Amino acid sequence: MNTTSQCNDNTLSRQSTEAAIVAGRRKGPAPKVGLPWGKYLHYFYSSFSYIFLLSPMVVVIGASLHGGEYYTAIKFPPDDPSLQWYWKIPKGQLEALGLSFLLAGGTALGACIIGIPAALGIVRGKLPGKTLISTIFRAPLQIPAIVTGIAFLQLFYLVGDATGMYIQGTFWGLYLGHVFVATPYVVGTVTAVLQRFDTRLEEAAFSLGASRWSTFRRVTLPVIKPGVYAGSLYAFMVSFGDVPISIFLTAPGFVTYPIELFYGLENDFDPSILASASLVIFFCLIALLAMQKIVGLDTLLRSGSR
Amino acid sequence: MNTRWELVLLPSLFFVVILILGSQYVFLEGSFYKDLGLGRVGTELDISNYVRFFTDSFYLNTLWITVKTAALATLFTLILGFPVAYLIARMRSRWSMLLLAGIVVATFVTIVIKVFGLMIIFSADGLINKFLMGTGIVDTPYTIIGNQTGVVVGLMHYTLGFGVLLLYSVIQTIPRSYEEAAQIHGASRWRMHYRVLLPLSIPGITIGSLMIFNMSMGAFTSAALLGGGRVFTLPVLIQRTVMLEVKYSMAGTLSAVLLITVLLINLLAIILIRRFRAARLVIA
Repeated sequence: MNTTSQCNDNTLSRQSTEAAIVAGRRKGPAPKVGLPWGKYLHYFYSSFSYIFLLSPMVVVIGASLHGGEYYTAIKFPPDDPSLQWYWKIPKGQLEALGLSFLLAGGTALGACIIGIPAALGIVRGKLPGKTLISTIFRAPLQIPAIVTGIAFLQLFYLVGDATGMYIQGTFWGLYLGHVFVATPYVVGTVTAVLQRFDTRLEEAAFSLGASRWSTFRRVTLPVIKPGVYAGSLYAFMVSFGDVPISIFLTAPGFVTYPIELFYGLENDFDPSILASASLVIFFCLIALLAMQKIVGLDTLLRSGSR
Repeated sequence: MNTRWELVLLPSLFFVVILILGSQYVFLEGSFYKDLGLGRVGTELDISNYVRFFTDSFYLNTLWITVKTAALATLFTLILGFPVAYLIARMRSRWSMLLLAGIVVATFVTIVIKVFGLMIIFSADGLINKFLMGTGIVDTPYTIIGNQTGVVVGLMHYTLGFGVLLLYSVIQTIPRSYEEAAQIHGASRWRMHYRVLLPLSIPGITIGSLMIFNMSMGAFTSAALLGGGRVFTLPVLIQRTVMLEVKYSMAGTLSAVLLITVLLINLLAIILIRRFRAARLVIA
């Protein structure tokens, strides 16, 4: 630990303790002892945020169970529960879902391939201008996604004009855009884990005769694993839910699931999208539970705070 | 063991730098060609698109609506998010993990699905209108689709989960003991929040609100769907300018204005924060 931060901590703690004492010097009668109304009020107030956040998903799942006719199908609560719409999910939506899964999985992998070395270099490398470099790796998050989308589209046109290889509206064009925005998440999570990493472990392995690669594979990798998992999950979810970039880089007949849904909502919608949307919600829930089992929610959040 | 870790980093850095510079250069350069519509552009560099932006009240109004809705969404996200973040951060039971999981799920599910849910809830025969009309508060269905309220609600839905997680990590860095100290010395719950917790979390809150504001400024999906083609924020207009009007260089100009506005507001905020902190140090 450096001394500056400790010094700041001390000043901070002294000031805060004083503030605490000053805050305590109050006039009037002593606080009434009884039911903690403030606490209940707090719970009550907080429940609004939960209702606001979770109700749309509950409503989508609920409405997907509706058993009625086509035009009255968006109804919550459903009056004649049935799973009929789940069997009527059209091929277009399933293909879009398939593409989204493939793309998101690939994006998570690509983001790791680029992000893990980047994090290792940032934390361990002896480089001038480290702050600048980590700012560069974070930059894709600072640029509004819609700007990234249109910028990549124009870049692809330009490259296409120059080389004759047009990649907009193809998998690889879409892939490049997604990896670009997903990489910062992996860099962030792996950097966070690496900063707490004891390099003596590696030195021990190396001095006992392990090769560089074997040290990396058998010592470094297992330790940074939580960061890698958390980063991959973020990368996967960012890619899986993206609209503003994909909307420019997909083409008619070649769309990801969120884009299919987006156009579905803008134009006429088929109630079967309620069913497929519910499936996606369940998938996200399962992915989160799996992650909670593997690395724990706390690790996921701690390493994810950018 | 002397691994040259900086060499490991270089390919990644190269990849990211090329993509950033390439993409940003292309659209910025493109924005300086006069847009003739339908994909045609002028042959000489000029600033006519920018002149058009800053002289056309429609574009200026769009910029204003973008900043306004983003600022409102940020404010409401803080007001709604802080108590929740505090509740989770200070909870001692295992329930905190469950509450946290609820927030994380809400952030992970794609915004299109969540907006879809909001549209159902706020639709003419949705839950809200059934309640409002049933109790006689309103007699015509109330809608948020196609007005600015809807856009703010949509943006909030986009940022709230993220905001809670952000504030949660801020509050976790404040030792619980300070609050206990204040309460032992007789501060009421409210007074403790106001005099101890709030001042300590202000640096974190400021940075957090900047991040939330940036997210809202660039948010496309919820603004597009809940704006219903009647409310335009810059991201929505950028997409329409490309997809419907096929005006690439005008869209480039809009993107540049959006990017620069976000950067300027951030810069301004950071300068103000520094000033403010310096001033407080002098007083202390």
